[in-house]
Amino acid sequence: MTPEPLFAISTLLFCIGLVGIISRRNLFVTYISIELMLSAVNLLLATFSRLHGDSAGSVMVLLMIAVIAAEAALFLAIIIQLARSKKSIDSDEFSQLQQPRESL
Amino acid sequence: MLENSIFALLALFLMIGAMMVIWSRETILSAFGFLVAMLAIAGLFALLDNSFLFLAQIMVTAGAVVVLSLMVVTSINLKEENLPKEPYKFRWIVVSSILVAPFGLLIYRSLISLHKSFAEVSSGYGGLEMVGDRLFTDWVLPFEIVSVLLLAAMLAAIVIARKEIRDDS
Repeated sequence: MTPEPLFAISTLLFCIGLVGIISRRNLFVTYISIELMLSAVNLLLATFSRLHGDSAGSVMVLLMIAVIAAEAALFLAIIIQLARSKKSIDSDEFSQLQQPRESL
Repeated sequence: MLENSIFALLALFLMIGAMMVIWSRETILSAFGFLVAMLAIAGLFALLDNSFLFLAQIMVTAGAVVVLSLMVVTSINLKEENLPKEPYKFRWIVVSSILVAPFGLLIYRSLISLHKSFAEVSSGYGGLEMVGDRLFTDWVLPFEIVSVLLLAAMLAAIVIARKEIRDDS
């Protein structure tokens, strides 16, 4: 097996995640797209670890998985908080931190 | 030959899952697509002789993160009318795909310029013993930092997600 298909699939996964972040307004889809991009990087690290026969890449993927877990906990807590306050997960609804138009 | 067909199957599942995430209107379908994609990535780890990462991916990402996401989706329980209105969703997806395509091509071209064939690996490669050995010798400091990060994330998640207690007195 050659590594090119693995490179292609992780690039495609990263691009799909990026498209999801750009094009959707559902906060949950944004969250899952970030996870997909992180997983694409994981896959690439594992591929390079296998290419060089070196286990440092595997260790990096393990640490990345821990970071993914931390990110999931935080993002889901934020989604719960926002959904509770506005009854919606539309990213356009959440503009509390935006400056009022007239003061710009 | 068998390896290639397994890879093709896993890649198909991965793409179906990822497309489900960004195409579907229902949030729960996105979460299921996420589950399919994570399982396919676990399979790809196994195909890369990385048995430990396969286990970690199944247990942490497919087990904990996806289940937590599904629980949040079902507990928020948004009605159809509360989902974001996205009348131009497909147009947005097509336009942003066109925008992202050159970037992806750049990544792919730079990756295949690093092309090597797979190295012959030693027998213990990717197993628990080898990864653990490496983790607790060369990578101890990042490991400790990650444990502090997980603690901070746990505290922050509790603080953010708890209900505000109003003091009416």
